[in-house]
Formats: sequence, C-alpha cells, structure tokens
Amino acid sequence: MRERFLHHAALACIQRAALRRVNRLMVILVALGLAGCAGDRSILDPAGQAARDVVLIWWVMLTFATVVFIAVISLWLYTFKRKYHERTPQQERKIARRWVIGGGILLPVFSVSALLMFGVPAGKRMLPLPLGHPVEVIEVIGHQWWWEVRYPGAEGGEVVTSNQLVLPAGEPVDFHVTSADVIHAFWIPRLGGKIDMLPGRVNVIRLEADEPGVYGAQCAEFCGAQHTHMDLHVEALEREAFEAWLEDRQAERLAELALANDEFAQARDTFSSSCAVCHSVAGISSSAIGPDLSDIGARHTLGAGVLPMEEGAIQYWLENHQTLKPSNKMPSHDYMETATLESLGAWLESLTP
Amino acid sequence: MTTINREVTPQDPQDLHSDLHEVWGNPRGLKAFTIVNHTTLGLRFMVTGMAFFLIGGILAMLIRTQIATPDQNFMTPEIYSQVTTMHGTVMMFLFAIPILEGLAIYMIPKMIGARDLVCPRLTALGYWCYLFGGIILCFSMVIEMAPDSGWFMYTPLSSSEYSPGLGSDFWLLGITFVEISALSAGVELVVSILRTRTQGMALHKMPIFAWYILAMALMIVVGFPPLILGSILLELERAVGMPFFDIAGGGDPLLWQHLFWLFGHPEVYIIFLPAAGIVSTLIPVFAGRPLVGYGWVVFAITVMGFISFGLWVHHMFTVGIPQLAQAFFSAASMLVAIPTAIQVFVWLATLWLGKPKMKLPMLWIVGFLVIFVCGGLTGVMLALVPFNWQVHDTHFVVAHMHYVLVGGMLFPLMAGIYYWLPLFSGRMPSETIGKWGFWLVFGGFNATFLIMHWTGLLGMPRRVYTYDTGFGWDIFNLLSSVGSFVMSAGFAMVIIDIALHFRYGKPAKHNPWNADTLEWANSMPPSAYNFVSLPVVETRHPLWDNPDLPRTMREGQHGLPTISHGRREMWGTDPLTGKLREIIHLPGNSWWPLFAALALAVVCISLLLRWYPVAGIGVVIAVGFILRWSWENGAHPKAAPDAHVKAGDPPLHSRTMDGPGLWAMTTAMIANGSFFLSYLFGWFYLWTVSPEWRMPDESPLSLIGLCVAGVAAILGWGLLEKAVRGLREKNDKGLAFNLYGAAMLGAVQFGLVLWVLLNANLAVTETTHDAIIMVGLAYALLHSGLGAVMALLQGMRVGYRFVGAHAPFEPLVVTYFWRYSVLVFWMLIVALDILPRVIGS
Repeated sequence: MRERFLHHAALACIQRAALRRVNRLMVILVALGLAGCAGDRSILDPAGQAARDVVLIWWVMLTFATVVFIAVISLWLYTFKRKYHERTPQQERKIARRWVIGGGILLPVFSVSALLMFGVPAGKRMLPLPLGHPVEVIEVIGHQWWWEVRYPGAEGGEVVTSNQLVLPAGEPVDFHVTSADVIHAFWIPRLGGKIDMLPGRVNVIRLEADEPGVYGAQCAEFCGAQHTHMDLHVEALEREAFEAWLEDRQAERLAELALANDEFAQARDTFSSSCAVCHSVAGISSSAIGPDLSDIGARHTLGAGVLPMEEGAIQYWLENHQTLKPSNKMPSHDYMETATLESLGAWLESLTP
Repeated sequence: MTTINREVTPQDPQDLHSDLHEVWGNPRGLKAFTIVNHTTLGLRFMVTGMAFFLIGGILAMLIRTQIATPDQNFMTPEIYSQVTTMHGTVMMFLFAIPILEGLAIYMIPKMIGARDLVCPRLTALGYWCYLFGGIILCFSMVIEMAPDSGWFMYTPLSSSEYSPGLGSDFWLLGITFVEISALSAGVELVVSILRTRTQGMALHKMPIFAWYILAMALMIVVGFPPLILGSILLELERAVGMPFFDIAGGGDPLLWQHLFWLFGHPEVYIIFLPAAGIVSTLIPVFAGRPLVGYGWVVFAITVMGFISFGLWVHHMFTVGIPQLAQAFFSAASMLVAIPTAIQVFVWLATLWLGKPKMKLPMLWIVGFLVIFVCGGLTGVMLALVPFNWQVHDTHFVVAHMHYVLVGGMLFPLMAGIYYWLPLFSGRMPSETIGKWGFWLVFGGFNATFLIMHWTGLLGMPRRVYTYDTGFGWDIFNLLSSVGSFVMSAGFAMVIIDIALHFRYGKPAKHNPWNADTLEWANSMPPSAYNFVSLPVVETRHPLWDNPDLPRTMREGQHGLPTISHGRREMWGTDPLTGKLREIIHLPGNSWWPLFAALALAVVCISLLLRWYPVAGIGVVIAVGFILRWSWENGAHPKAAPDAHVKAGDPPLHSRTMDGPGLWAMTTAMIANGSFFLSYLFGWFYLWTVSPEWRMPDESPLSLIGLCVAGVAAILGWGLLEKAVRGLREKNDKGLAFNLYGAAMLGAVQFGLVLWVLLNANLAVTETTHDAIIMVGLAYALLHSGLGAVMALLQGMRVGYRFVGAHAPFEPLVVTYFWRYSVLVFWMLIVALDILPRVIGS
C-alpha cells in the first residue's frame, strides 16, 4: 500500500516537473496567438489540480501522437518514392513480420501502457475518496434550463440559490449532482472533468479551485431546445468570504430583505399572486418549480446566462424572455402592465444580500 | 464430388448470354419493382444512400451556417435541434450503413464467384424497408416534426413528457423499420459468404474483402438487436406508458444508454470494417502484389469484431459508473488500437514490398490514412478516463468522431467507388476533375474538423445552437464553417465527375487496374447472372494466376452453363473447404417483397398516427405476404418442381437435408438470440441496478401454467425431430401427422401463455417489473404462434407434395426454429418466474 502510494507520489512529482515545462511552452504558444483569447471555459487554461493534470496529459499525448502520426504517414508516402527491390519470399516474409509486429503490436502496446501509467493516477485524484477531514458538500440540481444550488452544510441552515455557484477556494469541494427532469451534465472546464446529472441518482465529483476568481460553466449534456442557455456563474471565494456569503443568505436574513422596503408592497402582492406558484423568495413563498429568487439582485446574469444583470434588466427579461430564450418554461407576461413589471423588476433587483 | 469432368468445348458467348439472360434478365416498366437481382438492388442501395448523403450533407451545411458566427438567428433553437439530430441520424442509419451494405450486396457474389445472393427476395425486402423507412423518417422534416433529442435519443429527454410531439416516434419507428433492412442484409451476406463461394474457394482462399464483410454482417446480426429492443421499449413507453426508462415506475434511463451503445459502438466497426476491406482490396492491386499478411488481417478483423462488443461503456464514462468498470472499459478501448495498427502496418508492408502507383483511388486511400490515423490517435486519448471527462460532449469529440467516420468510412468508400466505377459503367472517370474533388474534400475536411478539436478544447460543448462572443471560439468556428463549404464544393465536384463519366467517360478496357479478384471477370457493366459458367478457384488471386479465366468463363467452359431447365442456379459449397455440396436454385422476380414492405410501411405509419387497429391489420397482412412468399419454395411449380440435374452435378438444395436455408435460419436465430439476451440483460439490469425497482413478493405468473406450456413446446419439438429423422431415411410416412401435431402443440403453448398473461393482472403502466414481464410473455407468444403456423403450413405443403421424402429440406428449417423457441421459452420461465421465487425480491 505504502509502496503504491510512493509510486503515485513519484509519478505526481514527475508530472509537476513536466507541467512546469509545459506551462512555459504554453506561455510561448499563447504569445504566438495559437491559444487565441482563451475565454473562461478553456480546458487549456486550468485553475485547479484536476484540470491541470488533464492538460498535462493532453500535451504529452499530443506530442506523442504527433510523432506517431508523422512517422506513419511519412513511411507510407515514402513507399511511393522508393525504388523497388526484388526479394525472395523469405526476405519478404521477414520484412513484413517486422513491420506488423513492430508497428502493429509493440507500438500500440507500448503506447497504451505508457498512457495508462500516466493517466490512471490522475484519474484517481478526481475521485471523492475519504480525506480524513470533512469536505464541503455542495448540491447541484439540473433543471430545464437552469441550475439549483444548495449548501446543506451551511451553519445556521441550508442555503439555496440558483444559476450561481460560490465555492471556497484552495480546498477540495464535493459536488453532489442530480437532475429534476432530463439528463444534464455538470462541468466547470477550468477546474476539472464533467459528470452527468441523472434523475433518480446522485453523482459525486470532487473539484478544487486554486485561487479565488470567476469561472465559466455551462451544461454539457444536450438537454433540449435551450441547452445552449444553461450557464452557471461559478465564483471561488476565500474561506472567510465564502462563509460570509453563506451567512448573508440565511433564510431569516433573506426574508428580512424581501420584506424590508414598504415601497415594494405592490410588487410583493403581484409576486405572491402570480410568480409564487413557481418561484420562491424567502419569507414570501416556497415553490421549487422555477429558480429561487431570494438573492436574485446579487446575481451576475439572468435566464442562466442570457442577460447581464443591470438596472432594469429584470423588467426587460420579464417582457422579452420568450424571445431571448425561446421555449423556456416561464409563461409569457404579455397580460401584465408595463408598470407592474417595472415595479416587480425593481423589487427583485433590490434583493441583494 | 469435388472434381467434375466437364466438357471443355468453348461455346459461343453470345448464345450463352442470350440463354442465361432469358432466365436472369431484369424486366422493364412496372415489373422493375419485382426485381430481386443483387446487382440491380446493390446499385439501388448505393444510389439511395447517396441521395440520403446529400440530405445529410445539406443538414450539415445548415449547422455550420448557424454556428459560423456568434449570436446567429439563422434557425430557431427547435429547428436547430431537429437539424443536428437528423444530420446524425441520416448519416449513420440512412447513409453509412446502407451504402456499405449496398456495396457488399453488389460486390460479394461477384467476388466469390456466385450468381446472386442466397436469399434474393430478402435483398428486395431489405431495400424496400430501407427506402420506405428512410422516406418516412425524412418526411418528418418536411412537416417540421423531426426528432430533436439528439441522434442517440437519450431518455428522459426523448420521452413523451419532455418530447411530446411525434419527433421521437418518427425516429424510433423509422429506424426500426430501416433496421429490418440491415438485418436482412446481415443474414444473407453471412450465408452467402459461407455457403455460396464457388467450387474450391476454401475459407482461407476467399478475397480479403469477403472476410471483412463476413465480420460486418455477423456484427450487424449481433449488434442491431439491442437497439431494436431499446426502440421497441421506448416506443411502448411513449405510446402506452409502460415505464421502462422512467425512474418513478422503477425503470432507469441508463438502460437506454446501455442498449443504445451496445449497438452504437459495434456500429462504428460495422461501418469501419467494410471500408477497411476496400483498403485491403485496393492496396494490393495498386502495389501490384498480394496483400502481405492475409492471416494477420483475418486475425485483426476477428479480434476487432469481438472487442468492439466490449467497449460500449466508453461512451458513458461520465454517467457515474463504478471506477473498476471504467478502468476495464478504458483499457479495452485502448486495446482496439492493436488490431487497427496491425492493419495499418500490413498495408504499409504491402506498399513497401510492392510497386505502388498513385492512381485516383489510391489518392483517396492515402487521404483515408492521414485522417483515420488522426482519428485513431484521438480515440486512444479519449479512452483515457480523466481526459474523457474533460472533452466528452465538447466539439473535441465531434471532431474525433468525424475523423474516424469520414476518414474511416467515407474516404475508403470514395476510393472504392472510383476503383469500381469502370465495373459499374464500363467507363473511366476523369482523373483531373477527380483530383480536384479529392483535394477540395481533403482540405475542406481538415479545415473543418482539425480546427474543431481546438474549439472543443476551448470549452465549446456540442449541440449548442449559438454562443456568446468572448470565449475565443468565434474565429475557429468561422474557419470550420468555411472549411465545410470547401468540402461541400469538393463533393459536388466528385458527384459531377461520377455523373458525367456515365456519358462522357473513356470506355474502360477489361480489368483496367489489373486486379486479382473475380468481380473483374464480369462483363463491364455486369450482366444480371454475373458469370456464364462458375469456375473452380483454389487461389486468392484467380485473375493474376490465370489471366485467361474471364474468357473461359464467358465461353461456358466451367460449371452450370446450361439453363434449359429455366432455374436460376449456382453452387452451394462447404463453408470451410469450398467443396461442392449442392446446386442452389434461387427464386425469380417477385412482387411479395414489395408488398410485404408496403404492408410494413402501413404498420409504421399507423403506429405513428396511433391507429392501432390498422397497425394490427397491417401486421397480419405483412406476415401473410411473407408466408405467401415462403410458399413458393421446394417442389412448388414456381421453385423447382423438377429435380433433374445434369449427370455428375450435385443435387438441388431443396432435395438435401443441408441447404443454405438452415444457415439463414441459424443466423436469424443468432440475431433473435441477441435480441433475447438484450432483453434478459435489461431484466437483470433493472432488477439489480435501477434505483426505484419494485418487485412484488409473490410472482404474478402461474408457474404451473408456464411449465405445462413449456412441456407442450417440448412435445411439439419432439414430433418435429421425429419427422426429420424419418426424412433423413427418405421416409415420409406420418410426416403430415407429425407436422400437424407439432402445430397443435404450438397452439396449446400459445393458448397457455396467453392464459397465464391474462391471469397475471399485470399493471403494465404502473411498474417497470410488470411492463418488462409483459414484453417477455409477448415474445413467448410470438414465438409459439409463429412456430405453430410454420408447422401447420409445412403440414399443408406435404398435402400438396411440395414437401416430402422427395423434397425433405423445409421441415428441418422449421425444426431449427422450434429448437430455439423451446430453449428461450424455458430460459424465460427460469428468469422471470423461478429465479425471483428462489432469490426473492
């Protein structure tokens, strides 16, 4: 057991050393503009150990594959150029056997073994094995076409939010994922691999963000017409900031916030009579058909990535959401007065814990 | 009976041709619908496949237009989903598989020295099912109701709750309909290759292409039934509400993924193997020497065929399966690199030791190599689980898949088409236009898909209909789109070249590439009967070793040149040694295949429209047509009433106890067994893995009822065996009695199973358990019913003297069916009733 551990550790050491080199190479590549303006979803720009392992594996595999590719193609093309030699059948058999055994058997056996030796330890690290200390658990539930995010471990009671995922940086986090309807997939490219979200099952994946920062994510398994618009805003915070963030979202605090301002009484009534069937706002309603809106004012986008959150954005969304995100499950609000929507939007925007 | 002294006097080829043409020639006008000839049907398959390729290609261009730039509104999200789903579906099911089957249907008899495939009417049925299924499927696009859940139809997205329209139904019913065609082709290609090779062509002497097609056909036979089962279950769930994949009832959506990829992964090799067969056929011809390492290639094909059934889970690495299983499937997936590499290096060694010439077909072969090796290398990368978790469901996978499928299938196919064009038409294509076409396709393809790997690595998921700017995807998507249009231009060029050559091509000289295999002994274009006389072939390279062979064959100096009896005849030979066994007499043109396919089309359409009574009537009519077609066998006046053969020739197959029909029945039962094992897999999978599985404490089935039914089946089977024993001794006393007795016992079994089913009070829409039991019993009903009807018809045929001691073949075929039916019935009893009683829920 110990030996195996040391073996893994040694491999990991080699990987890290190699990665430093690869990173240097990456800098050059980026300078050459090959990597383009890599956005916040690039696998090639890792921000966590799991993703970094994969990038390293990728560059090594690519190098090796390129060598094999060039060698095989050159040999093939060379046969058209070279002179024909008369050979005895014995000589022919010998040459043929050399090619077939060398190229057909030894080459793939060697490559595959090397690949497995290199790749298996990396895969192991992504598994949610027991660590000896408690790990932060975040539950993520996929819906057509939005994300429900729950923090069952928050001190002072579970915290619920939607379409945004805040996690503590610099420590492993276990994501327990499932789906409320069809199959979705949970994937934060810069942090690591993806895992499917299946109805009736809970899958677990362990990820870690090295540094605080914002990371892009979007559903990776085709889940219907609006699969495209199922973004998740991922933000890693220092541990303290993370806990503060959770604390701001305690149900009582959110309820206070929602009921705070009297000028929005009208909007709250509208919400209770129309929106509360599907949406919950702490202190007012508790329905889980649509996204929880208790802290919507503090979110970065609307409609799971369709619109940036700005002043007036919610009203604009409420008026145009079926054009902005066709076939989404929220009914159209054509029947509502502009003024009503305006006040509703203003109130929701004020929900910034 | 191996060597037969024949008169070797050459005869006038023209006379022989007109005699043979009288019997084999194709009718014109309306009667062209009755043609069963493999040459004509092979061409129809290929032309229809090309038409669907154009449709699939236009869909691809629509996709590339939509995502060429960010935030496009060219298509609505719904239409985009339909277009992507249909692009995959059309290319896979209506283009790739059928066109390769078409090529095999066209080529195999010619290569192995036969005059037709062994079940010509089945070829025709397969073609019509393909055509009608394809039209029904594509019609869904015209009415904007095309399937839109992705070409692998993952449930619950494809379920009635999340896809309420007709889209998924079009897919499930249309594809199942088309699969009848794949299965028919699979069955008859297996039997044709094993039993109708010309005299002397031992298994290890047959052209390497036949090995590839044999493997492909066997893989179709085993690989397609899981998807057929899956489609039937999903359609039952959608139409009737039987919850096979619905968690709430006790089902599991992952079962669909298992069934789909149990088919889907072998399918990749079903497409790749024939294409690799083209490569292995062309390279020796253009290298001017035999393939180096024939044995190695056969070994590689066999290994590939087997391994490919153990890889399906690598499409499911992200669904959360246990780590051990992942490691197993990861290693197995990488192992496929070995047989692939063996072939690549066999080809290399052949070129190395030969004098390769870079003709147009060879250009496509080199293009294949470049692209396919790339795709293979990314395939090994994808088999590594951690890397797979990152790039799964991104454009990287889309790029990989196109490298493998376009590189591994389309490029060799183009090489093959250019190679065999002179055979199809008797004319040569234009090298200049052909080269332009190649370079445009090759350049355009790599521009599209090499770049797409990068887009995927930058994090772009597949199947998104638009994307925001700012992820670094814009320029790469634009380049891919430009590349795809260049590729389309290349294909347009190729198609123009091919179309023009039929009129303006230079007339080809005989065997223009100096090939070694028998298809080039045909006239160009080939006649309906292929060969005037069937030679003894004991070498892998008949035309290299005996360049005079085409002439002597045309002059009737070999086997079966006489046709005064008016039968379509060819050799039936030993599957291993190629020793002569019998003369196979083939049925002539017939309306029944078309009528049966039309009836099945009615079934398909009425299921779509939920007109279940009409569908029921359609099924009865279709079965009626097929049974009517089987009536014209044996000593029936339209088959072989007169068993007289030339002195020294072997007997007609219907006068033996070992005709190809036995092999066809066996192959069909392998397919059937694959379906049944998939069903058992589903049963045990749901029982052990499904999260909400519920099993009643008491089995709802009457064990006694089932056992009595099982005993009745065994007794019926015993009567049939007795009848067959008699026939082997040329004794048909009591034959009709035994057959009618078996039919009655089959009916008893049917009645008892029905009684058990009706008394079980199954809540088929409530629990998955009951629904799956229902399917099992329906399967048993189908088999007992069919067994009874077949035995009954045989009994009647005895009365008409179509069957008897003089024509003893058919009861044995029916007995084969009964053996299978009895075996699976008892397996069903054990699995569905005894095991749950023993183990408990």
